[in-house]
Formats: sequence, C-alpha cells, structure tokens
Amino acid sequence: VRPVKDLVQTVCTVLCKTLTPSQAEEILAVSRPRSVPAGNIVFKEGEEGSGLFLLLKGSVEVVKQGPNGVDQRLATVEAPSVLGEMSLVSERRHSATVRATRDCEFQVLAREDFLRLLERDNLAAHKLVGAIAEVLARRLRRMNEMAMELLSRADTPPPMEELAAFKQKLFSEWSF
Amino acid sequence: MAGFEEVNYYFRRAARVMDLSPHVERMLITPFREVKVDVSISLDSGELGTFIGYRVQHDRSRGPMKGGLRYHPAVDMDEALGLASLMTWKTAVVNLPYGGAKGGIAVDPARISERELERLTRRFVQQIHDLIGPQTDIPAPDMGTNAQVMAWIMDEYSKIHGFSPAVVTGKPVDLFGSRGREEATGRGVAFAMEEFLKDAGGGEIRGKRCAIQGFGNVGSWTARFLHEAGAKVVAVSDHRGGITNPEGLDVPKLVEHTRRTRTVAGFPGADSISNAELLVSDVDVLIPAALGGVITKENARDVRARYLVEAANAPTTPEADEILTERGIAILPDIYANAGGVTVSYFEWTQNIQQFTWEEAKIVGELRRYMSEAYMTLSKVARQHRVPLRTAAFIVAIGRVGRATVLRGL
Repeated sequence: VRPVKDLVQTVCTVLCKTLTPSQAEEILAVSRPRSVPAGNIVFKEGEEGSGLFLLLKGSVEVVKQGPNGVDQRLATVEAPSVLGEMSLVSERRHSATVRATRDCEFQVLAREDFLRLLERDNLAAHKLVGAIAEVLARRLRRMNEMAMELLSRADTPPPMEELAAFKQKLFSEWSF
Repeated sequence: MAGFEEVNYYFRRAARVMDLSPHVERMLITPFREVKVDVSISLDSGELGTFIGYRVQHDRSRGPMKGGLRYHPAVDMDEALGLASLMTWKTAVVNLPYGGAKGGIAVDPARISERELERLTRRFVQQIHDLIGPQTDIPAPDMGTNAQVMAWIMDEYSKIHGFSPAVVTGKPVDLFGSRGREEATGRGVAFAMEEFLKDAGGGEIRGKRCAIQGFGNVGSWTARFLHEAGAKVVAVSDHRGGITNPEGLDVPKLVEHTRRTRTVAGFPGADSISNAELLVSDVDVLIPAALGGVITKENARDVRARYLVEAANAPTTPEADEILTERGIAILPDIYANAGGVTVSYFEWTQNIQQFTWEEAKIVGELRRYMSEAYMTLSKVARQHRVPLRTAAFIVAIGRVGRATVLRGL
C-alpha cells in the first residue's frame, strides 16, 4: 500500500494544483483504489462514464474505434496522469477505450461520490470542477486552432486556369 | 459494402494516372445532393413506425441520375454516397446518358408485412417525389426491393405528377417493364466475359471451366448464359454452401433444383464444397456474383483462376486487387462487368418514353452492342496507358463525366 503522503502529493500536483493537502485528503476519502493487470481493459468506449481515474502507476493506451471499425490508438499515457475526467462533469458515455499496457494502479473517484461532495458544498470538489474546466478550455482552444488551420488549408478557391487545363487535357491526352 | 472511401480508392488511383489537380478531383467526387427523410407509417399493429429514407444524387452532368433503391437495415448515408458515385462511373463506362444516384430505407423488408411495405414505399415517394422524375432521377430495384415495389413507386408518383412510367425501371413486364430486364445483369456478364477472354488471350467461352459464387438473380442467370455458350460451370455456391462437379454441372437442372429447394446444396451428382473452397478452386474463370469483399489479402494468394470476372459489386478489396494483379491474374472490374442491369434499365426507360415496346431480340442485340463498344474503349485505354482494366474503366468514366462537366461550364 502506497503511503498516504505520496498520494496526497500526487493529487495536489497531477489532479488539481489549488488543493491544500487536507482538501486532497477529502477527495481521497471518497475515492477507491483499483489495480488493473497489463492487457486488461480499464473502461470501454461507449460504456457509461464511471468517474475519474487517477493513474498512479503503470501506463495505458487510449484506443478509439474508427469509422471503418478498426481500432485506432490515440495516445499512450504514463503515470502519473488523469483519465475519464469528462465523466465527472457530463453524463456522457466514455468516448474511448482505455487498456492497461503495464500493470496499473488507480485511484478512482466515482461520479456519484463526487456529486455528493459537490452537493455538500465541499470546497475541494468545487476546486476540482475549476481544474477540469481549465483542462477542457485548453483543449477547446487547441481544437479551434486546428480547425482554423484545416479551413485555411482547404478553402483556397480553385483558380479557373486549373479547370481550363483540365478541359484541355480531357480533349487531348484523355480523349477516347 | 461499398462505402464512399472504398469507391474513392479506385477513383483516386485513376485520378493520379490522369494527374488531376486536387480541386478538380474534389469537384468530381462531391455529390450533387444528399437527402435524408423521415418515413413514418402506421404499422398493422396500430403503432407508429418511423424509418429513415435516403437518396443521394451524385452527378447529373451526363443526364438524369440513375441508381437502385435498397431496403436493408444497414442502409446509411455513407453507403448510399459510395454506391451513388459508383453509379456515376458505371453509367459513364458503358456510355449511357445518365448520372449516378442511390438510396433506400433502413428497414428489414422480411420483418414487415406486404401491406406495410406498400405503405412505406408510397410514403417514401411522397417524401422525395419532387426530387425524382423521368428527367431528373430514376430509381431501380436493388437489395430488398423488386418489381412490385417499383410498380408502387410508379403508381404513387403518377398520382402526383400524372402518368409517368419512366420514373422507375425494373417494373413488372405487365406494367411498362422491359423484356430481358430480369436476366440483364447475368447476360451482360456473359457478353463482357466473352469480350474480355478474346482480348486477354483466353480465347472463347466454350470449354472454359468456371466457378460462380452466388446463385441469386445475377449468379444463376450468368450460369445459364455461360452454360449455353458452352462453358463448363464446375462449381457454384450460395449462402448455404456450394457444390462442385469437375465434369461440369447440369445448369438447367440445377436451376430447377434451386427453384424447388431454394438452395444449390444437395444437388444430385455433385460434391459439396464451402464458399471459401470455391474461391480458390482450380478453374479458368472465377466469378464472384454475390457479396462484396470476399476476395481479400488473406485468400488472394490462393486464387487459382487465371481470370476474375466481378459480377458482384466490390467483391475484391484494394489489397487483394493489388496481389492478384501482381500475380498476373486479369480482372474484369465490377463497374463494367455488371453494367448489363443498368443498361437494360436504360432500354426500359427509352421504351417508356417512346411508348413503344422492343422485342427481346432487339434488347439482346443492343445490350451486346453497348457491352462490346464499352469494352473496346476500356481495352484501348488500358493498352495505351499500360494500366489494369479497372483503372482504365475509371479513366474512361472520369474522362466522360469531366468532359460533360467542363463543356456545360460552371
């Protein structure tokens, strides 16, 4: 069993930097440890979102099923890190599958337990919401940038010369 | 199933040979119109049944758009898109004055009653009647639909727009259908194969040992026409399994057997064989005539036939296509080989518009002419640019659609 002091420190550095050690302990008090052996699935794409997974030890891969049914690896994540944080703030199903690539140890904060904390006006829980919002805002900003880049790349209007060249080619080289 | 990306794989291969710019490529690929409609009917049980109907119209530069209407639970926009674009290229390859379309309803027709099927079809027509028409978009039978469904479409459309038999093809012969429509695809396959063998150094059909996967409309008619032309049909199969006889199967008797038992399995005087075995059996010509994606990178190295005739749509995956080509197995591509169906649909439409009926001999003769002229062009382009027939077919199609597009102007 991992010393409580270590755990508290991980929560304060990886999960939410604004938590005091005693607030981190409040979060830890309602969460549960879970170990997943290498090769096993932590949670599956499309499953009900179960909560936040704090990865303490090991590594996982994030896999998503592409439109052609083939699994595509989106990322590998090494400890210490956070997974499934979106399921705390929205009731959506997991958007990807997470599989342990090495033996993993997690601290799991279930959605119901988290909501109960929030309802009691627990400051630690509120701070956690803020931290998740910050992560999501950062991701959204990056997505916006990517979308803008794609749009500017795709939408340069076709010069009419291109069409004229195509026409010429169709009636010379490619006539049959 | 032919999704949009799979169809575009071969399109892009031809586009690369033709050195098309990305903008021109995108213009040719982008569909003209995609429609998704609610088709709600009252079920026999009194409940409300809601289904989704699709119609994708891909390109209309060469004429009214043409393509099947599919009733199948797996129908979706991606599939309709892929098949609609395939129809654009297919009609261009055989030089019919048509563009491409495809659509359907996500429904399992076996799980609803005949009366529900009729209500569903009529409701669908009410939802899309302003998009289809004899001069805009002409549906035809496909998976899960038949001549009766086409008759309902014609009737419902005519209620709104006045007498219009030319709004659909594949109608019953007693209701403005064409003679020779039912056997058209199979007959076209036989004509196409005749041209192909002659050109590829294989000689004539007589005496060729053939294996056919699938014994539905396309497979069984292909078997009959090949048998008539003197080929030895040594193996056939359907979803229940297959049969083989190295001396050649008695096809007319087999057709009779299948009509009685609804499967080729158990045909007297033949050994049984699995579908997988059929694909790698020792024959001159292999003819997949049922499902898509049956020849893959897993079995392409074991195919023993020297010629592959694609009577089904997309039976060969792109990886398998590459392996077979490398091994020197000549492929007659689907967009040409099974175009006999849409060609006779065109004859049906022509007869409807003229209000004149052709005799069967005329239909057979015209079908032979269209298939043979199309092959001449394919073969010329394949030789001239040293490309396989499939790439040549897409080059011919892109050339024809492209010329129509630029001549019309933007």
